[in-house]
Amino acid sequence: MIGVLPQVVVNVILFGTMYGIAAVGLSLIFGTMRLIFLAQGTMIVLFAYLCFWFFTLLGLDPYLSLVLVVPIAALIGMGFYYGIFKEAAALEDKNVSLLLAVGIMYLVENLMLVLWTPNPRSVVTEYTGLVFRPFGIPITFTRLMALVLAVISAGAVFLFLKKTLIGTAVRAASEDMTSTTLMGINPNWVNAVAFTIGIILAAVAGVAMSTVYSFDPNYGFVFAIKALIALTLGGIGNVYGALLGGLLLGVIESSAAFYIPGGWTEAVSYGVFLLVLIFRPYGLFGGSIKKA
Amino acid sequence: MANQLLEIKGINVFYGDIQALWDVSLQVEEGTIVALVGANGAGKTTLLKTVSGLVRSSSGEILFMGRDISGLSTKQIVDLGITQVPEGRRLFPSLTVLENLRLGAYIPRARPSFATSLERVYSLFPVLKNRREQKAGTLSGGEQQMLAIGRALMAQPKIIMLDEPSLGLSPILVKTIFQLIGALNEQKTTILLVEQNINQALKIAHQAYVFKTGRVVMTGKGADLLKDEEVRKAYIGERVRKTK
Repeated sequence: MIGVLPQVVVNVILFGTMYGIAAVGLSLIFGTMRLIFLAQGTMIVLFAYLCFWFFTLLGLDPYLSLVLVVPIAALIGMGFYYGIFKEAAALEDKNVSLLLAVGIMYLVENLMLVLWTPNPRSVVTEYTGLVFRPFGIPITFTRLMALVLAVISAGAVFLFLKKTLIGTAVRAASEDMTSTTLMGINPNWVNAVAFTIGIILAAVAGVAMSTVYSFDPNYGFVFAIKALIALTLGGIGNVYGALLGGLLLGVIESSAAFYIPGGWTEAVSYGVFLLVLIFRPYGLFGGSIKKA
Repeated sequence: MANQLLEIKGINVFYGDIQALWDVSLQVEEGTIVALVGANGAGKTTLLKTVSGLVRSSSGEILFMGRDISGLSTKQIVDLGITQVPEGRRLFPSLTVLENLRLGAYIPRARPSFATSLERVYSLFPVLKNRREQKAGTLSGGEQQMLAIGRALMAQPKIIMLDEPSLGLSPILVKTIFQLIGALNEQKTTILLVEQNINQALKIAHQAYVFKTGRVVMTGKGADLLKDEEVRKAYIGERVRKTK
């Protein structure tokens, strides 16, 4: 038992960062557009397929393929915002945007079914089975890379929000869009930037996922819900909390898997999700982080 | 005729089916303070929002330096030199004082002069300099109003529109804010002021417009309106009684 526990802890951190970066994306999009972007998980799967395609067709290393996948994600992000969401984002009624997100989710999901069939795919490289054993704890190389990618991209987003003027504007818009507009800041540009960062984070998560799990087109919605749980744990609209929420969800899932008989893992996550929404609707550490 | 910086000609504004402004016309001469007074819901804030482009007029013209701006976006309007300080200050509470000021100078026209604008704001409000790394939400009410005005000044506006700057402040701070408005005006900033503190507003204003249910019902020099029997009875009634 004692030998297994550290392994669980390590799994937690590696697992959770994936939910975390997806949740950071959701948080940015929600902060500016007041939209719960339900298609986030489906986008992650789409980028996993894109990575799979570059790997099988071009023989491109999955991590190297980020050089192509990230710019493609940026184009998709800008294209989706200006092509699909721009008019809806200006409306008081945010349900229109939500329905558009659901539409995108099903459209992309079905497109993937046609293009790649419902059979699970995975990216298997020569290092897929590579395992390190520092202090006797087995760590898979690809999972370690998932952590590295999550840390790098989350760090980049935090720096962007803190150090650049447009990043500051994105944070300001999450607090008060009207006041942001009165500064002469184009609300569409702020929305588009936040949305595009969300899609780029989905791309990073997609590449990381393709190297760790096998995936199929229907996996997206489950991932979106997981990211949503992470977001809720951290406090909706709180970017830093979202990352912590991801880690916490990892802790919950892996300890549930460890201590509770199989099949209950998912139920525990959703149970915690509901409990948090009922008793701490602004997230577990929303308040304390805002003060810090 | 004097040099009109802002001229509003017969605008009508609707919120859905409800008409908020009826054929409103007014002029703001360059370098003056113009006050809009009247009861709550009389349409003063709507007028400011219409000038800022947050709300659209269905007819009429809004001329700024002779150019019709009624179809422009808020971004373009701010870029031309019109900045609004909204009611309730509307700061970004979890951003620092300096970050709030930085966003005030977001428009490309204001960015090159960021350092000089910041210097000016700090000299007007030294307390903001001391608190520049503090979150705006932790400031006192008076300091928040100073930051809201300072943030607007960062855009290097030709005209600044203040919506209820004295709201919720202690009498001493109200006096300070009005002194500041006077000082700003002496530095050649044109001011369009919406206030419920009618007594103070009329004292400071060169020209004033009285709003009632979406219409301009009276206009004149601030000092003249202050003496006007009807205005005193309708809007400063309480104060007259108290001084008796």
